[in-house]
Amino acid sequence: MFSTITSGTVCGISSHLVQVEVDLSKGLPCFQMVGLLSSEVREARERVRVALKNSGIILPPVCINVNLSPADLRKEGTMFDLPVAVGILTCLGRLSKESTAGTVLLGELGLNGEVKPVRGVLPVVTRAKESGMRRCILPRDNAMEGAVAGGIEIVGVAGVTETVEYLQGLENGQKGLIEPARIDVMSLWKENDKDRELDFADISGQETVKRAAEVAAAGFHHLLMIGPPGSGKTMLAKRIPSILPPLSLQESLEVSTVYSVSGLLHSAKKALITRRPFLSPHHTITGQALAGSGRVPVPGIVSLCHRGVLFLDELPEFKRETLDILRQPLEDRRIQIARSSGVYTFPADFMLVGAMNPCPCGYYPDMARCRCAPYEVKRYLGRVSGPILDRIDICVEVEPLKFRDILERSAGESSARIRERVLRARSLQAERFDGTNLRFNSDMEAGDVEKYCGLEEQERNYMERMFSVMHLSARGYHRILKVARTIADLGGSGRIREEHLAEAICYRYMGGQSER
Amino acid sequence: MTGDRTEKACRHWLYQAAGMNGRTFLRRLQQVGTAYTVYELAKSGVLEEKIHARYGKRAVRLQAAAKERDLAGILEEYERMCLRGISFVTIGEAAYPHRLSEIQDAPYALYYAGKLPVDDSRAIAVIGARNCTEYGRYVAKEFGTVLAQAGVQVISGMARGIDGIGQRAALNAGGYSLGVLGCGVDICYPQENRELYEQLLAKGGVCSEYPPGIEPRAVLFPPRNRIISGLCDGVLVIEAKERSGTLITVDMALEQGREVYAVPGRVTDALSAGCSRLIRQGAQLVTSPEELLADLQAEFTGYPGRGSGGGQSASGRAEPRGKVLELLDFQPQSMERLQEAYRMVHGDSIAVSELCYELLQLCAEGYAGQAGGRYYLKKE
Repeated sequence: MFSTITSGTVCGISSHLVQVEVDLSKGLPCFQMVGLLSSEVREARERVRVALKNSGIILPPVCINVNLSPADLRKEGTMFDLPVAVGILTCLGRLSKESTAGTVLLGELGLNGEVKPVRGVLPVVTRAKESGMRRCILPRDNAMEGAVAGGIEIVGVAGVTETVEYLQGLENGQKGLIEPARIDVMSLWKENDKDRELDFADISGQETVKRAAEVAAAGFHHLLMIGPPGSGKTMLAKRIPSILPPLSLQESLEVSTVYSVSGLLHSAKKALITRRPFLSPHHTITGQALAGSGRVPVPGIVSLCHRGVLFLDELPEFKRETLDILRQPLEDRRIQIARSSGVYTFPADFMLVGAMNPCPCGYYPDMARCRCAPYEVKRYLGRVSGPILDRIDICVEVEPLKFRDILERSAGESSARIRERVLRARSLQAERFDGTNLRFNSDMEAGDVEKYCGLEEQERNYMERMFSVMHLSARGYHRILKVARTIADLGGSGRIREEHLAEAICYRYMGGQSER
Repeated sequence: MTGDRTEKACRHWLYQAAGMNGRTFLRRLQQVGTAYTVYELAKSGVLEEKIHARYGKRAVRLQAAAKERDLAGILEEYERMCLRGISFVTIGEAAYPHRLSEIQDAPYALYYAGKLPVDDSRAIAVIGARNCTEYGRYVAKEFGTVLAQAGVQVISGMARGIDGIGQRAALNAGGYSLGVLGCGVDICYPQENRELYEQLLAKGGVCSEYPPGIEPRAVLFPPRNRIISGLCDGVLVIEAKERSGTLITVDMALEQGREVYAVPGRVTDALSAGCSRLIRQGAQLVTSPEELLADLQAEFTGYPGRGSGGGQSASGRAEPRGKVLELLDFQPQSMERLQEAYRMVHGDSIAVSELCYELLQLCAEGYAGQAGGRYYLKKE
């Protein structure tokens, strides 16, 4: 007897449908699985046999051959247990082939016959929908995650017996033995509002940093905060997602796919990631953890904060090689990881927020406490690799909080109000870049800067003067224009004026080039 | 019999072989005779009998050293050093600075490049913190310039901060300056003062009690401070922390009977604590170079262009630029602080963008400067 069941697998972040072909024939009893399987897929044999036994189905002593097709595609993960079990039952005649037609099955089996959650459900369900499948049978814990894709019937099951009963019910025309999972995607965003997000209103003072964060958020510029320990750099960084525009459904699906592939979606008991991620890896992080690692790579930190904020505290303490990994994501907004099994591409479009001390001891320019020689300060600021700094458009100093600031607690401006301004600036950018592949002011290359950041006579003269007085470089010049464009957008001004340029100049990174 | 040059070459050899950390031994040897005589005696192995048993071991070592070198070699080494532009002077010679010879612990010899200070002009040591503030920088420059213009020789340690700034200012004003080093005079330490070192070689001088080639080490610096104070009539302290190397020089100066002058700073600055303490202990408080000159009774030659640059009033400038300038200080301040100060001083708030604009204008016009990122300070 022969049967074919449809299942799926993820490869990096892309998903494929896989045909699970099962054949039962006479001969020496055996259970073989082929089709370029990794060991966790091969181990399905033992899980399936015992899970079926414990669900009251004893396998006859026959020769079982399973092939996962296409056979040249590497199969990963534990999601093939359920389709293999159903395939065997179909071969045994317990289920009809019609019952599983147009159905994708995914799920890991426990020895007691239960169906356990798996990772990568969202991309597989999306692929199934695109391929015109009618129904997905998923572990119950993954049902909501699958339901988000919409346009395909999602059935969550908790055990082998339940699955069999459901499929038998279908044959007998008993519809709705298990209610298909449904989810109102919009309600997920509403839920967001219930639990309070971190808010800039919590921080009194620090107006210059808040302003810099606002500009950074509006133009999607990367941001660097320099300040002594305990000045609230982390506190400020954590609140940046609250002024970024809310995630759109499209963006949310992208982020959720990454989390689904990493197996982080169901463990967080979430159907969708509806908030911008904020990740703050420790400075001892390895390059692999940052980029994504494994023989078959899983997304790393840079991908997990896709569409969100990557916060690197103590930037100069990160190993140079680790930081250099960020170069590709900062350039291409994705990361490619080459392995013997192929090249895997993960999205990595994040806003980089860095924080560092102004000098090794952390107290510069407070001469009463700073014990660093001027050249030490210089060297410390020069420690972050140039290519990374080149990508950071905005740099801002953070002052230590004074007691009065803590005491006053005069509520600052709320994140919601800042976000309104950011959204206005973003919509101006969307208009400007309509029909191009640019999205934000920070995406502009030198040529685009010429096109979109043209200066009028008066401002050009101003820049010319500043160029020589403030010792600007050509690269710095373009960065200043980009930031000035964003500042002008925030102010609702079509023309870039002197004050916009001045503020942008103030946000440039000075590195070690302070005056003697 | 033996020429002057041979004697000097022998002294150079003797100083290196025995003198570096045995001043009393050297003094004992001087009683034996000239350096050439000492060399001859050592070479023939009879030095030990001649001197007191207390120096027996050292004499034996010196004899061993003498046996390894012949006179020709010693002469050649000395000639080579002279060719490199390094001069050598021992105590008692006419070229040896008179002031220095008066002090209790005067070095037996000095190596120098360029010129040594002259005895019939006033000399002042301008010393202070290496890690100085913009205020200290300004004061050091002012004093260095005016002192040099009045013909006062500025002596210091060529260190980072106050020392170097004062010396540089003196040279730029066309005056004389001497750098007393804690290493051989052929070594420039700190490296970042390379330019000053070259300038000193050309227009002033550098000197050291250590032979050429001696690398800078922490232990070598405190002894050289006695030479700095020893070479001067008075010591001027600009910015020093409560515990600081500058105060070692001051202690030396007091022992040597030199006048101590101190420039006051703000009481809240850690770098003013040293000066404040000195003033409390009786150091002369000086607030301008003129005061110092009057005290030195140095001839005041007058200098052009003063009184126009410093202390210009901010009132003539357009609002709110003048308002921002009022807030600036020699101490670097961040935008955050300036914004806050603006609110407190002027009662109304200023937007970040406006503040940026005004600050940059001030920088462009030369009234303000930037230090280490977005910290702004006043410039003169």
